[in-house]
Amino acid sequence: MTTITNRQEATGWQKKHDEYAPNVGDIAPDFELRDIHGQNPVRLSDFKSQKPVALIFGSFT
Amino acid sequence: MGTVSLHDLYRKYSDQVQFIKVYIREAHPVDGWWFGKGIMNTLLTLQGNKASRDLYDPKTIEERRAAAGDCEESLQYGIKTYVDEIDDPVNKAYAAWPTRLYLISKEGVVVYAGGLGPWGFKPAALGLAIQGYLSNG
Repeated sequence: MTTITNRQEATGWQKKHDEYAPNVGDIAPDFELRDIHGQNPVRLSDFKSQKPVALIFGSFT
Repeated sequence: MGTVSLHDLYRKYSDQVQFIKVYIREAHPVDGWWFGKGIMNTLLTLQGNKASRDLYDPKTIEERRAAAGDCEESLQYGIKTYVDEIDDPVNKAYAAWPTRLYLISKEGVVVYAGGLGPWGFKPAALGLAIQGYLSNG
């Protein structure tokens, strides 16, 4: 993904990827992410059988 | 519905729900689909919204982590931030750009899939989903 510069590009990106995004009832794709220091890896599957997980996606702007 | 914030949800449910903030590619950086021109620049200045006036889309993972840290410090949700890799694998898997909310069950199944932001970004709807899930659990 390159930097999106206008509404047309934004709509195109969303349309392309939303088609494959998980819906209610689907298995959530597992992932591994690190914190803002590049440390403390966390996986979605770490919480399986432990807690539900709220995922909040966003940026600064 | 619109008055519930993520901070409210975190305070109410953080002992029962794992909250993960995933910092993804910037939505409106200065070098992208920027809304900071003309009168908007004046409004953003008056609001003290420095990020929307100054932030360029991070090009390296180090730049992205730094921006994510600034975001975490500024928003003060209390929710720990994790950073998507520079090629956006998690963002793409969840079609998350520019903002999106999900609730995943203990079994790893999607319980709530919010709409695409900004119009589909509804913390109150996530709150109802959490409430419903916990009450049925």
